[in-house]
Amino acid sequence: MANVRETLRSFVLESFPASSIVSRFDDRTSFLDTGIIDSTGVLELVSFLEEQFDITVEDSELVPENLDSIDNLVRYLGTKNVPHASP
Amino acid sequence: MGLAAGDVWWCVLVTAEVREEGPEVSFDVHGLNIDAESETEKICSFIEREVYAHYKRKGVVVGLSGGIDSALLACLCVRALGPSKVLGVILPERDSSPDSAKFAAEQAEALGIQYETVEITPILEVIGVYERRNAVIRELCPDFDPGADRMKIALPPDLLHSDALNVFSLIVDRAVGGRFSCRLKPAELHEIAAAQNIKQRTRMIHLYSFAERMHRIVGGTTNRTEMDQGFFVKHGDGAVDIEPLAHLYKTQVFQLARHLGVVENILKRTPSPDTWPGGVTDEEFYFRIPFDTLDQLLYAFNEGLDTIDVSKMLDLEVVQVERAYRDFQLKKSTTWHLRSLPPSLLDSDSEAG
Repeated sequence: MANVRETLRSFVLESFPASSIVSRFDDRTSFLDTGIIDSTGVLELVSFLEEQFDITVEDSELVPENLDSIDNLVRYLGTKNVPHASP
Repeated sequence: MGLAAGDVWWCVLVTAEVREEGPEVSFDVHGLNIDAESETEKICSFIEREVYAHYKRKGVVVGLSGGIDSALLACLCVRALGPSKVLGVILPERDSSPDSAKFAAEQAEALGIQYETVEITPILEVIGVYERRNAVIRELCPDFDPGADRMKIALPPDLLHSDALNVFSLIVDRAVGGRFSCRLKPAELHEIAAAQNIKQRTRMIHLYSFAERMHRIVGGTTNRTEMDQGFFVKHGDGAVDIEPLAHLYKTQVFQLARHLGVVENILKRTPSPDTWPGGVTDEEFYFRIPFDTLDQLLYAFNEGLDTIDVSKMLDLEVVQVERAYRDFQLKKSTTWHLRSLPPSLLDSDSEAG
């Protein structure tokens, strides 16, 4: 199975082109603080997570701690028992 | 307006940041207070100058929604130009509250202005606004009965006490009892928003039709809270000739409205987009914080006040102020295009050839 981290990075770079022009984009970069993802971008990200990883993102889980960087996403997916989602 | 002795250091902090274009405010826990009469005179001078000297037109057309902003604008225009120079236009549709047209007419009559009522439901039906929106809802809620059920979309409540991000949910209150609710996917939200926005764009068409026939301008009703956070429709209620309220936070709109005698029925109405059959407030639909607290926090954010200082001033936790600041920045940056001319290569450094 493709590495989860790489899958997430590819999705963010393809779906949110602003990520490629942010001066420093790494796995700790906050999507919201840097403007890589806007309000509707959060919806796209959540849809991707549910479809790609076959999980359900509960309303209570729609928080920056779970979604707002590659590192946060990997950690969050680990709590949802997604294979290979290890930090 | 006045500050207690204990607030002096706040006065120093705030007045150093007061901008030229905004009204002078005192920022404390009682709200963003302004000198209502002085502000009225300033806005009326602006309206008169813009209509006669800048645009060289004969008056103003005001879309009267039955809400506080348009009522205030009508009051200010009458004060500035006289009632014969102001036309009110009421533009209800199927999903408008019946009170809206009634209160709008009441305000127009109180001001002694001419007003017209144009029902826009037929044109919205022809364009397919309701059909397109309802088709999305039926995909999600197959038993949805558009004739009986009441639907709306809303954001998670209570921004200050929650880290929940801005994700819209569809809410359907069934006529047969019970409530259906589900989070919207991007395509679903875009389809619903695109259909709904046609309503405000249709209103814009009618307002400009009246204005151009009468050689008048269209007055805008967007206040600062809405302008800053992008709570208006591009080329809908955002397409106007002047924006006399754009420097006033919502709570300041209320202050001026009370000062100028806006009708009581409108003063006591809870602000709402008035476009969803299910009835949703501005707070539920977009802002997620009550207006009095929202405006204080937004003012603090715009003035660059430190979150720790603001938390003490407003008796909030620092994390709550940080949540508000983050949301303000997100909404402001997402809606940049509502406050700008379209980007182009038309500047002095970009000549073609």
